[in-house]
Amino acid sequence: MRTKTNWLVLILVAIGTILILFPLYMTLTIALKNPEEMTRSVFAIPTTFHWENFRNAVKMTNFFQAFRNSALVTLCTVVLTLLTNSLVAYAIARNMNRKFFKGLYFYFISAMFIPFPIIMLPIVKLTSAMHMTNLVGLTILHTVYALAFNVFVYVGYIRSIPIALEEAATVDGAGTWSTFWRIIFPLMGPINATVGILICLSTYNDFLLPLIIISDQSMYTLPLVQYIFQGQFNTDFNLAFASYLMAMLPMIIIYLFAQKWIINGVTQGAVK
Amino acid sequence: MKKGRLLLACVLLVSMLSGCGGSKEADGKVKLEFFQNKPEAKGSFDKLIAKFNQAHPGIQVSQINPPDAETVLKTRVVKNDIPDVIALGATDTYSILAQSDIFTDLTQSKLLENIEPNYIKMLKDITGMDKVTAVPYATNANGIMYNKTLFKEMGLTVPKTWDELIATAQKVKDNGKIPFYFTYKDDWQTNLPFNALAPNLVGIDFFKQLREGKVTFKEKFREVAEKQLKLLDYGHGDNFGKNYADGNRAFAKGEAAMYIQGSWAIPEIRKANPKADIGFFPFPAGNDPEQNKLISGVDTLLTISEDTKHKKEAEEFLSFLLEPENIGQYIKEQTAFAAVKGVNQEDPAVAELLPYLKEGKVLDFADHYLPAAMQLNSIVQAFLQNRNIDGYLQTLDREWDKVQSRK
Amino acid sequence: MTKRLTAFYWMTVPAVILFFIFMTLPALQGIYYSFTNWNGFGKHYDFVGFKNYINIFTDNNVGNAYLFTFKFAIVTTILTNVLSLLIALGLNAKIKFRNFFRGIYFLPNILSVLIVGYIFNYLFSNVFTIWGKNLGVSAFSTNILGNEHMAWIGIVIVAVWQGIAFNTILYLAGLQTIPTSLYEASNLDGASRWQEFWKITFPLIAPFFTINMVLAMKNSLMVFDQIIALTNGGPGRATQSISHLIYTGGFQGGEFAYQSANSVIYFIVIALISVLQLKFLQGRETDM
Repeated sequence: MRTKTNWLVLILVAIGTILILFPLYMTLTIALKNPEEMTRSVFAIPTTFHWENFRNAVKMTNFFQAFRNSALVTLCTVVLTLLTNSLVAYAIARNMNRKFFKGLYFYFISAMFIPFPIIMLPIVKLTSAMHMTNLVGLTILHTVYALAFNVFVYVGYIRSIPIALEEAATVDGAGTWSTFWRIIFPLMGPINATVGILICLSTYNDFLLPLIIISDQSMYTLPLVQYIFQGQFNTDFNLAFASYLMAMLPMIIIYLFAQKWIINGVTQGAVK
Repeated sequence: MKKGRLLLACVLLVSMLSGCGGSKEADGKVKLEFFQNKPEAKGSFDKLIAKFNQAHPGIQVSQINPPDAETVLKTRVVKNDIPDVIALGATDTYSILAQSDIFTDLTQSKLLENIEPNYIKMLKDITGMDKVTAVPYATNANGIMYNKTLFKEMGLTVPKTWDELIATAQKVKDNGKIPFYFTYKDDWQTNLPFNALAPNLVGIDFFKQLREGKVTFKEKFREVAEKQLKLLDYGHGDNFGKNYADGNRAFAKGEAAMYIQGSWAIPEIRKANPKADIGFFPFPAGNDPEQNKLISGVDTLLTISEDTKHKKEAEEFLSFLLEPENIGQYIKEQTAFAAVKGVNQEDPAVAELLPYLKEGKVLDFADHYLPAAMQLNSIVQAFLQNRNIDGYLQTLDREWDKVQSRK
Repeated sequence: MTKRLTAFYWMTVPAVILFFIFMTLPALQGIYYSFTNWNGFGKHYDFVGFKNYINIFTDNNVGNAYLFTFKFAIVTTILTNVLSLLIALGLNAKIKFRNFFRGIYFLPNILSVLIVGYIFNYLFSNVFTIWGKNLGVSAFSTNILGNEHMAWIGIVIVAVWQGIAFNTILYLAGLQTIPTSLYEASNLDGASRWQEFWKITFPLIAPFFTINMVLAMKNSLMVFDQIIALTNGGPGRATQSISHLIYTGGFQGGEFAYQSANSVIYFIVIALISVLQLKFLQGRETDM
């Protein structure tokens, strides 16, 4: 039956992608123009590419330092989150019949609804008292705050893994810990991909937490350094757009190469 | 197996993280942290700091200029990690911080010796305290910039009264040009006419009486409100769609004859068009030119943290910044004015303002006297959209009362 | 078996401790401050009892923020879900370059909300207005973000532009779980496309609909980054969301305690709505 391409749908879908791509096209072209070219035409493809916008933006934002900070925090957060959050969720998922664990489940997920501003100042106080106003502290906080949503996602997934597998392992004499690491954790590939990708994106793009936690400017992450173009004082949009593009580029590049894997990762965990 | 590898990777990563943060070499120098809130002044301060560090081998000053600086400063106060030297505008934030006693008392300090007394008094008025906890450094001016080339082409002269201002704007409009380039997408921009009109027409005393509960906006601010609205007749097509950055570029390119703005915008305008021929006159709020004063506030003040371990060095740094040569360089780059006596701004763009500053015919910004919690900016921006004068005055009174009752 | 249980307890202990220290304790502190008049950084404050809470209920700025937030959240949630379901249906149809299109639709999800906001802010002010002028439509020749009646639409556009990505992918995953044999059977019955959708497709992706609705609603009730990047709550307070009010009032306004009280109420409201939504939608799922 439906073997031929549905051209009407194809055209509609294609129009939709134009709407998605248009702002990105504008970002790219504005980043490559200079102010004079902007006055000639906002939309046209630039006649000469002004790569110096990127060079200047790198200098103004100290791009490579900020990028290194962002990359480190993101990487560490992803690893730490996958290892710790899945473990907690496993314990909860396998004991939902017990009051303690069920209570824990709701305790964690209720935090999804806490408005961040209310904990902002207490957190600032706490982290400075514990000497955590640095990238390590930032990583720990991201990991802890991820628990709320991740426990919700993980528990749903783990409960779909047949318990028989673990029982067999227990019979063979494996302890709970090794059962988790040897049998369950490897089975959690799809959901780990989902959680890993989401936490990677949210950590990399976060603005407010690093802003209040980090005091030392040499530890600023990429979203923080973009702010110099947003203060009340900026006139050079081309420079700003070049800088925005560079801040988004690492993720876009990863996405270009791992697109299929990322999309499958996000969905596989959710389908269960 | 897998677990071991992952854990190892994790430990490695965390150690990398901590490695790239904490290791600052201890070379026996006194380290001073200089926190300041003006992104556009970063370059100027960098130069001055480099000069200072070179002349003082025992001291190492480093500048901090974060995004959303006032919020960050408040979090630093919460952290009990107050920067050694802080530069701020003389705003409500300064007032609240000063009242929290986090700054060193400088009332008797030699640092204040050469400062225009006018500006010291301004600080006292803002905080409502007798002691002085900051040194006024650079000051600004709020008025009307005009494009000299366009004025010449249309045969216009600088207006001295409100009626002349409106007549001038009308002439520009009749010539098919934009009289004022409004940049009201940014709410703080909507405040500029208010800040010029209120002190001239109502007086700064109003705010003292307001604190004592003796007056209301409703009684005193109708004329201010009407004039705020009147100006809107002479804007461009998209008054609320353009922001400060758009305005600087448009005015630099000669798209409008006049621009109600502060002196801080001049470097930005010149960046967009180095050849822009700019003039600057005080906002004529009323019809008696003799009575009209220039709005000028403390753009940057310098404070020393009460808790700093290096008060002596901090004072040394302040007195370095206040040296005529150094502050001269700063105000030249920032098109600001010096609070230090005898240091003059020679930029031709602001020449018309100098007599006012010399004679002390200055008044402070009105919004320095209103609590930030009132969010005056949004109130004014909303009013300019709905044009309801009664509602506006009522809102001002109501928000004032609400903030007072919440204290 | 008890040894096994002990291990389970140990697995949760570190997380519980960290979570308590960094989430619960600060939240409790926040609640504590909501009964004081602390300005956020001073050393002194007094207890004021329920005064902050009483003031919240008489503060029209709070009511205004709730109104905006709900209007925004409902419209955004519905638009995002309808559009992403349509796109997912399109992507699930037999078309060429399906993976390519799918890749593009997901792209906005990986971008920073803040930076996307900055970019759109520029487009609204300097690009879309050019089209408005060229087309001669006066309503679109000025920046809609500067209009107190229309600014919220601009924020909806940006939120939907970015929000569609994630929901589309989830719907698509749901659609792909439906076996084609079901459609073949309905084709034989002579059911129209429309009936096919409501009778077969929609009931089978109902769980995805539930989770998408709840997540989209929760995210848009907490809208913050878009507001900061696009309008900063303006013009006036026309687009001030509750998060934005709490942030600006609490930090720039120096009324931390007062806005903490606001946060407490806000937490209760969001939690209630999410639970109700979940109950209602899950109830419908089983009906279908």
